[in-house]
Amino acid sequence: MTKPHLLHNARLIDPATGLDEIGGLIIEDGLITDVGPHLAKPSGETASETTDLEGFVLAPGLIDLRMKSGEPGSEHRETLKSASRAAVAGGVTSMVMMPDTDPVIDTPALIDYLSRAAESDTVLNRIYPAGALTVGLRGDAMSELALMKGAGAILFTNADHPLTSVNLVRRALQYAKGVGARVMLRPDEPEIASGSMNASAFAARLGLRGLPVQAEWLGLQRDLTIAEMTGCPVIVDQVTTQRSLDLIADAKSRGTKVSTTAAAHSLFFNELDIGDGSRDSGKAYLTYCKVNPPFRDESERLAMIAGLKSGMIDCVVSAHDPQPPETKRLPFDEASFGAAGLETLLSALTTLVADPYYELDLLTALKAVTCGPADILGLEQGRLKVGTPADLVVFDPEKPWKCKREHLRSRSGNSPFDGRLLTGQTLRTMVAGNWVFDLKSESQET
Amino acid sequence: MTYEYAFPHRHLLGIEGLNRLDIECLLNRADALVDDPSPEKSLSGKTLINLFFENSTRTQGSFEISAKRLGADVVNMAVQSSSVKKGETLIDTAMTLNAMAPDLLVIRHGASGGVRLLSRKVDCAVVNAGDGTHEHPTQALLDALTIRRRKGQLEGLKIAICGDILHSRVARSNAMLLHQMGAEVRLVGPPTLLPPGTETWGASSVHTDMCEGISGCDIVMMLRLQLERMNGLYLPSKREFFQLYGLDEAKLKYAKPDALIMHPGPMNRGVEIDSSITESANSVITEQVSMGVFVRMAVLETLALNLDKERAAA
Repeated sequence: MTKPHLLHNARLIDPATGLDEIGGLIIEDGLITDVGPHLAKPSGETASETTDLEGFVLAPGLIDLRMKSGEPGSEHRETLKSASRAAVAGGVTSMVMMPDTDPVIDTPALIDYLSRAAESDTVLNRIYPAGALTVGLRGDAMSELALMKGAGAILFTNADHPLTSVNLVRRALQYAKGVGARVMLRPDEPEIASGSMNASAFAARLGLRGLPVQAEWLGLQRDLTIAEMTGCPVIVDQVTTQRSLDLIADAKSRGTKVSTTAAAHSLFFNELDIGDGSRDSGKAYLTYCKVNPPFRDESERLAMIAGLKSGMIDCVVSAHDPQPPETKRLPFDEASFGAAGLETLLSALTTLVADPYYELDLLTALKAVTCGPADILGLEQGRLKVGTPADLVVFDPEKPWKCKREHLRSRSGNSPFDGRLLTGQTLRTMVAGNWVFDLKSESQET
Repeated sequence: MTYEYAFPHRHLLGIEGLNRLDIECLLNRADALVDDPSPEKSLSGKTLINLFFENSTRTQGSFEISAKRLGADVVNMAVQSSSVKKGETLIDTAMTLNAMAPDLLVIRHGASGGVRLLSRKVDCAVVNAGDGTHEHPTQALLDALTIRRRKGQLEGLKIAICGDILHSRVARSNAMLLHQMGAEVRLVGPPTLLPPGTETWGASSVHTDMCEGISGCDIVMMLRLQLERMNGLYLPSKREFFQLYGLDEAKLKYAKPDALIMHPGPMNRGVEIDSSITESANSVITEQVSMGVFVRMAVLETLALNLDKERAAA
């Protein structure tokens, strides 16, 4: 038995219950044992150790439904250790790791390996491996969903290799439903999406090939149709358009179980952020803004924020995809897709909350990174609830800071937020009752 | 030489970003060079590197002749057989070349934005000799010079650019330049080869019917059909394309009787243009090539002058 630890004088925010009050929280043995406004001030008998949070926000640690690691296979991009360091600096206490590593995570043995590797003391947060939906992510044969689930795969996805065979989607969803496996599909029709940015007049002017919004709609219509046909719930991986939300609303009205995610950067950037050099000659063809699905136009970005507010978007993901300079310092068409996002996930949301234009409140924004993904994944954390793990984040929702890639803890600094002013920063992060990040002590080190 | 207007840019990366005065400044200088049998060796002591990541005989040769006429030392880097093949990144290539301290760097690259990426890592002046499907500014300038010398001005002319607009950097640069100079630019091509948003380049109209598109035009500018990019998905066949969009006598009748016929070369005879037309009196195709040398002389001289000023100030 460890001694009880009281965190007091905190602005408690719990999106699961709508709580937003000054109060405190007690932790014992890595679990929350009491929480509420009655703990706002320390009293002698409640705890042996107390921490004054000075009125800053205390919220459930963030749960990121989609991140990539370079490990195994591309440790120069990212390791589990460096990813977890970046994650806790952004308040992310749990994260789902995509299976498109080298080797592809498509067997129970590899799931087991990753689960063990994630137990290492050097890994600071909880990593949940996702399994490959198809063998080698090749899209031609289902992988061992039940065995991998048994080994600890939290969901199954083909990650950034959208399926092209409708028949395989059908069989995979039928089978997944039977074995109770969660499936996440990225809506895409790669046949008409072979470009490097949003298909638009801006792309045509830059001489870049486009990824049309219609590719997303075609892929989504197919996936939703098969989900309805098979009765298998699906997680739609990163929508970027209003029409996608409409398609999902229509599918839900027919009784299909759909959860929807959006990438934090898609709430923040539009296609013009790639730059044509017209305002600043250095800001053109920025490959840090090359992601897939791509940044769309401004109306779609606003539609994503509206979707978050209305609850159509259940979950905001980091879509963390570390890419080194070798694959990013290239002409736009030749550069790799992907943006580092773990460290900026919370700040991206608090920056939107801080802007009165969006009328987005903190509880709604945080819901999409706490109980939202927890409910999709069936995790007990993601809420300030007695008996659940003490995975917590302390942050200042108003603190301004400048994101600089050289200060990011990820091994790859390919963040579109590089050079941007953000509002709101993680101060401390706790996983299972232990502090794993403290901004003050980190800044003293550096 | 004296310049009434100081060209304010360090590089020539595209037509986008240039205003009418910038364009006129370059055209006027080129125009003066056409009539100057022995121009001053204004690039004497300067080193120019031709860096062509895509094969080119005409443009590379044109730049080489231009630079040599002005007294520059020219080095042609054979990129195909160089360290680029050994996996060196574009930025490493730029830094390596920069260490050799050239004054002028002429670059063609297969990726849109590739030349701009290189330009950010070097201290010399960079001329874009074509980047992917983005821009080819000296081609647009030489086309403008050719038209201006024949028609006296650009303002008010009706100009049709025809063919594969989608993959053409020549079309982008030309549309932007001609629009900037007050011409009416029409784009003509099959729907699969017409990109969206061409009004942002300055095109006033888009036509899928060639006769309608070139009707009443002062200039008919044909583009090379980039057969290697077609993959059978954009067009059914060459002969069908020629039937609908190839410039022949019948279609040419819709343009003004004195309409100039232009082509940036190299031509696919019998695909986008009928052989007989290329040799007609109104064809200025070889004149374009001649003007290319003077335009590139003007560009190189102007950028070198700016570089000297910058160095003197430092």
